[in-house]
Amino acid sequence: MEYILDVQNIHSFIGQYHILQGVNVRVPKGSITALLGRNGAGKTTTLKSILGLTPPREGKVIYEGKEVQGMRSFDIASMGIGFVPEHRAIFRDLTVEENLKIAERSKGEYIRKKEFIFDLFPDLKRLITLPGTSLSGGQQQMLAIARALVADNHLLLIDEPSEGLAPVIIEHMMKAIQLLSKDSTIVLVEQNFLVASQLAEYYVIIEEGRSVQEGSMKDLANDKAAIHRYLGAA
Amino acid sequence: MTQQPNSRMSAFFLTNRAALFTLLALILLPFIVGLMDGESPMLVFANQSGNSKFAQGLAIEIFILALYALSFDLIFGITGMLSFGHSMFFGVGAYLTGISLKTLGLSLPATLGLVFIAAIVQAVLFGLVLPRVKGITFALVTLGLGSVFHIVVMSSEMGPYTGADVGLQGVIAPAFISPANERLRFYFIALTILILVYLLYKRFVDSPTGRVCIAIRENEGRARMLGYNTFYFKLAALTLSSLTAALAGFMHAIYQPIVSPNVASMGFTVTALLIILIGGVGTLNGALIGAVVYRLLDFGLRRYIGESASFISGTVYVLFVLFIPFGIVGTWKTKSFQVKQGWDRLRKLFG
Repeated sequence: MEYILDVQNIHSFIGQYHILQGVNVRVPKGSITALLGRNGAGKTTTLKSILGLTPPREGKVIYEGKEVQGMRSFDIASMGIGFVPEHRAIFRDLTVEENLKIAERSKGEYIRKKEFIFDLFPDLKRLITLPGTSLSGGQQQMLAIARALVADNHLLLIDEPSEGLAPVIIEHMMKAIQLLSKDSTIVLVEQNFLVASQLAEYYVIIEEGRSVQEGSMKDLANDKAAIHRYLGAA
Repeated sequence: MTQQPNSRMSAFFLTNRAALFTLLALILLPFIVGLMDGESPMLVFANQSGNSKFAQGLAIEIFILALYALSFDLIFGITGMLSFGHSMFFGVGAYLTGISLKTLGLSLPATLGLVFIAAIVQAVLFGLVLPRVKGITFALVTLGLGSVFHIVVMSSEMGPYTGADVGLQGVIAPAFISPANERLRFYFIALTILILVYLLYKRFVDSPTGRVCIAIRENEGRARMLGYNTFYFKLAALTLSSLTAALAGFMHAIYQPIVSPNVASMGFTVTALLIILIGGVGTLNGALIGAVVYRLLDFGLRRYIGESASFISGTVYVLFVLFIPFGIVGTWKTKSFQVKQGWDRLRKLFG
């Protein structure tokens, strides 16, 4: 199998706290891979370590065959990694269109991708001139995902996309993520196991800063013991 | 078909009517003040009308202050960098102009060139600390840099050049823009410079680079994870700001009979901060309106109340922050005059 991302035994710290104590994540090209685990297990920190926002002190992050650990985060991002942070991190002082345009890495990308993005999220087209502040939570999440689609990203890191959204909007967003996975590889952090199990083909469970189990999502769905033990879900 | 350019033109006039009206008023101001005194426009043209000349002088001071406040709004209001050494940007322009004209005997264009080179150098100096410090630490480091400059200017060793604590005196402005004899010309030059710089700033803020600066203000981490090396954007904002403040200092040194060391002090940085707080942080035109309010308030209070004016102006600024925390322009835009919240904040102040 060809892996677009290979995270090998990384250790990351936030301040003096040793948050990641050996995380391994392999992401097959073209797949959706879910990082699962309880609150505070280190899932978000893993995404941030991949992007160099919380640079790992040990271990390797290999993206498209190149070691990127220790590189500056904007250089890593420029290699084609889109990040959709949790809490719908859009720019509230910019309009919807400006939020999208700012994600361009080369001129004209936004114009080229516009149609595709608005097909995916028709709401955004209507809101294009409004400032980020006047968007609802669901719309902000759509915009955050749309922003990661403007540039030619090969890998999308999506953090908690369903958090705090109404069920109807979650469904719409899941469809969008499925559509996206046709063109790019996706790493998904998701608390909602139901959402994660429907979207992802592969999973990695992170427990207290360590990756403890990985495999195909189909197998996990039948492994009630593991689900109960690591995720606390029935 | 032929009507299209016309309607586009009228649309332009309609959307910019407030700005165009202000511009017209500023062009006519010297003559209107003259007429109110019963002095003909010819007298104003000949720089013979006393009151008109006085009004022009006050307006020139406001234009210079507005330029300086604009430059501060670019780094603080737009890009989100709180610099407490901003007066140095202005001071370097003012002192270098004085020294270049008086001691070195350079021509006006050569002086302006020198000032711009120095402005770029000091922006790079501030830029050197940028990647290492953020937020309040950046404020403190820039405060340190600004204080060093203030101390150097005030030192007796530099006295022959800077005039130490007395200030730099005896700078002779070239005759064609002499503030005494050719004030009307100075007035229109200063007005033109302010308008051009303001339009340039608007252009910059609306450009993709400017949008990234706004993104940096909101959340630098997010801008970085989109792939932006934010350092270059902050340096660009600092450089443009430094050039503008130095230009304001250049005009100040030519216009004023004396460059006081106060313009290099921390107090003058606070002046810039106050002006954009009054006008509206990050709005650009707030810097212009703030400069008018600040200077006229200061002038009016000093004239009618005297030395205790600063106590009253201080109170007024506190009320500004309590009742219109988004400044005049910000409040106008959001249409939210915070009367009730203002009283609540005031009550909390006194327990």
